[in-house]
Amino acid sequence: MADRRRINGPAGATIPPVFDDVSTPKLKSPKTRSRPPNTTRKMYLKTGVTPSASGSAYLEIETSATPGVSGLKLSCSVHGPRSLPRSAPFSPHIVLSTHVKYAPFATKQRRGYLRDPSERDLGIHLEAALRGAIIADRWPKSGVDIIISIVEGDQDRETSLLQGDEVWDMMNALGGCITVAAAALADAGIDCVDTVAGGVAALVQDAGEDSIPTVVVDPIPSEHEKILAACCIAYLPTRDEVTNLWFRGDLPTSDIDLYTSLVEKGIQASKNANRVLVGCLAETIE
Amino acid sequence: MTTTTTTTAPPTLAVPGQLLGPASRYQPGPGTHLHNANLYASLLGHVHITQPAQQPQQRQRAPGPAKRLTKITPAPAPAPTPPAELPTISVAVAEVRSSRVPAAGAGAGAAVASGGGGGERKKREVLPEVGNVVLCRVVRITPRQAVVAILVCGDSVLEAEWQGLIRVQDVRATEKDRVRIYESFRPGDVVRAEVISLGDQANYYLSTTRNELGVVLAVSEAGNTMQPVSWKEFRDPETGAMELRKVAQPQPQ
Amino acid sequence: MASSQHVLLSPAELAYLHASLSLAPPIRLDGRSPTQFRPLVAETGILPGTNGSARICFADGTEAIVGVKAEVERTAQRPGEDTVFFEEGGVGTDDADEEGETRDGVDKRKGDASWVEMTVEIPGLRDDDSGTAFLSAMLSEALLADGEFAKRLWINRRFHWKLYLDIILISPPLSYPLPLLSLTSHLALLSTRLPRLKSEGDEDPFFDDDWAAAPHLYPRTAATTTRPPITLLVMAVGNNIIFDPSKEELTVADVALAVSVTSATSPSTLSKPHTTDAEAAAAAETDPESGRNLRLLSIRTIDPPSRLTPPGVANAVNAAYGAAGTQKATLEAQTAAETEAVEGVWKAPRGGAKRAVLGALVQKVLERGGVVDEVLDALEAVELG
Repeated sequence: MADRRRINGPAGATIPPVFDDVSTPKLKSPKTRSRPPNTTRKMYLKTGVTPSASGSAYLEIETSATPGVSGLKLSCSVHGPRSLPRSAPFSPHIVLSTHVKYAPFATKQRRGYLRDPSERDLGIHLEAALRGAIIADRWPKSGVDIIISIVEGDQDRETSLLQGDEVWDMMNALGGCITVAAAALADAGIDCVDTVAGGVAALVQDAGEDSIPTVVVDPIPSEHEKILAACCIAYLPTRDEVTNLWFRGDLPTSDIDLYTSLVEKGIQASKNANRVLVGCLAETIE
Repeated sequence: MTTTTTTTAPPTLAVPGQLLGPASRYQPGPGTHLHNANLYASLLGHVHITQPAQQPQQRQRAPGPAKRLTKITPAPAPAPTPPAELPTISVAVAEVRSSRVPAAGAGAGAAVASGGGGGERKKREVLPEVGNVVLCRVVRITPRQAVVAILVCGDSVLEAEWQGLIRVQDVRATEKDRVRIYESFRPGDVVRAEVISLGDQANYYLSTTRNELGVVLAVSEAGNTMQPVSWKEFRDPETGAMELRKVAQPQPQ
Repeated sequence: MASSQHVLLSPAELAYLHASLSLAPPIRLDGRSPTQFRPLVAETGILPGTNGSARICFADGTEAIVGVKAEVERTAQRPGEDTVFFEEGGVGTDDADEEGETRDGVDKRKGDASWVEMTVEIPGLRDDDSGTAFLSAMLSEALLADGEFAKRLWINRRFHWKLYLDIILISPPLSYPLPLLSLTSHLALLSTRLPRLKSEGDEDPFFDDDWAAAPHLYPRTAATTTRPPITLLVMAVGNNIIFDPSKEELTVADVALAVSVTSATSPSTLSKPHTTDAEAAAAAETDPESGRNLRLLSIRTIDPPSRLTPPGVANAVNAAYGAAGTQKATLEAQTAAETEAVEGVWKAPRGGAKRAVLGALVQKVLERGGVVDEVLDALEAVELG
């Protein structure tokens, strides 16, 4: 039903004129990967950015070679441990609550201020990833809030709005969220069994429909023709354990090796992120 | 694998998940956890190794006659820890340690100030645990209980206020049936108490059933700070009026 | 969220349950075999006002109904793609369209994830509860993962069907409701029919009034075995893999996964993963045996509620029991909560799942002729109303 209380735009779409700008040279074909398949992008991680929080961290992932492609910028703050609200039941463990929110300007399509279902979904994934890492019984009767704001989502501004599936961007965002939350938790002094870090791997088809798909780490959706499947993994390196696995795509079940190699690459990406994480934490205490 | 780890000394700095050493060499302290017979750090910070106290066996015998058992229990199991006390290994942020050593306090304070802005410069959050002695302020009283806000736990000032409860039966050890809450606590009093239970959803349960526990600071109805004069009375030094309290035995400084 | 709702089991009960589920073979509370599902009652076509509907009732009393409603919606035009200027009156575009559809048999249909809207309602949970959002995200993810489903909703280049899937759990969730909701929506989608299109090309669509002539969204002919996805809940305790866990069993799970699979007719253009021809041939050979070409669509880790269970206290350190009398023991119990695992004493698991366990779980689900085939066969047998 049309909204009669406001002055609305025209009902049908109008198409803005597009002028062919000859002076802008085509930098490169947008669909080529700028890194070798086994290399993740560079990342920057710093703890202690929010003085008022118990712990905080900031993560930035390098923009790819194409100008105009924004990287991922995440800021995480951890509040607590603090007392639970009066209405909450007794808990012998720390109660973890995770909030992931895209800033309204973080993606091509503006996000509202209320969390939409995809952001809630990210929050649950993050909670599952962190639940396995923290030692919850050290902090009875208390709660901790982990709040992540995605300042800049990892989206290519050159491609059109409806090209590509947002879910692949969500996986990249989740990988970053896990890493930055682990840094903030360590900064806040909440007991963890290990430093958990997120990694993403994807099965991509770069050279047309009939080419052989390859597995790459840290995929940027705009750099690949087609992403067949992807997985995001939260991994504890010293224990060699996976706390969260999120796979999505379309794989034949007759070929389980493909799935296995995807998971292996995801773990490899996570290990890369973990090296940055441990380096950053070591810097923090020195 | 253990043979290689026993030879190496534990690191001075640790990140969560870092191997500290085998469980056969150290006892797990705060900030560490046990996994597959090895000790790992669970916090970010400096590694401290505390040697065990020298005469634990004699101290253990000290407090009075042992309580007589009134129920049937199985024969005591062999002690889970080897008789030789192991040093305790713990991981903590540096500032926690400096607060324990007052002499180094000033220097550490300067470091805190110059450290600037970082969240990690703050002291680690502490939670009240069972057995801790805490300082709390009485918020309100009812005939059955006094509701208090826990302010200090052990040596550390808490960041958040935790709510506690002193029930009428936990005020003193004797003549429990004669205890009146309004003759023991008044709102605004500062009380030293011991945590006896994590309690229910909202409250820690506290107790003042020892001599050194009870009201340490009270203000009279006239608004003056009062002095303790007996185990159950405070006196206003200006008006001379007496008020009833469960008085904490003054502690030597 | 729903998986972490409190189960009132004592540490001793948890330890007992965990031990009996870790035996080889595991002994389950209700005597099922590890791969056996709970019995259920299913029917379809129960709601006459919908395009498709289903109801499933589990033996434990949990019951869900799903209604599928379809509405015609105008497709948002995207500048830059093969735009249709609908202001033009459609004379020129009709030609282009026919050309597009017939040329080399290339399917120009396009789908979009926004054409499917799924809502899950669970009594006792708020609408904006994260658990509900997680369930609906998981179910719609499985439906849309292959990118093929939305194409079925294409009418012409200007219009599409908008499909509303409303999933309602009637009873309070007695166990983690994911498998129930997934099976019910699978049946509802199987029974969904869309009116037969009578108009041609890109003109405003009009449809055949005869409901009997309406084709199924998932045509059931011998040639096609394409089916809506199903999501299975599977968990591991020790080295045992257990399907369709009850609420109590899930409480002691080391790891729990939700795995979505579907069966497709033929390897579509999306699916050419066979690196060599020989491998492809081998796959083709094995396919007729089960008659299905199973495809893995999505996997999610379910946060097992076992991490939030209260720990047990071993006799050796229990001040009230075995170690009574010695003040030292009580002090130790208070300070050193960090103890090695003791046989028979429950301790909430820490950390994640071993890689090998995860791999074994997924492999077990995807096994040819395994549980998935069994479930699909059973659902096939449900009469479409």
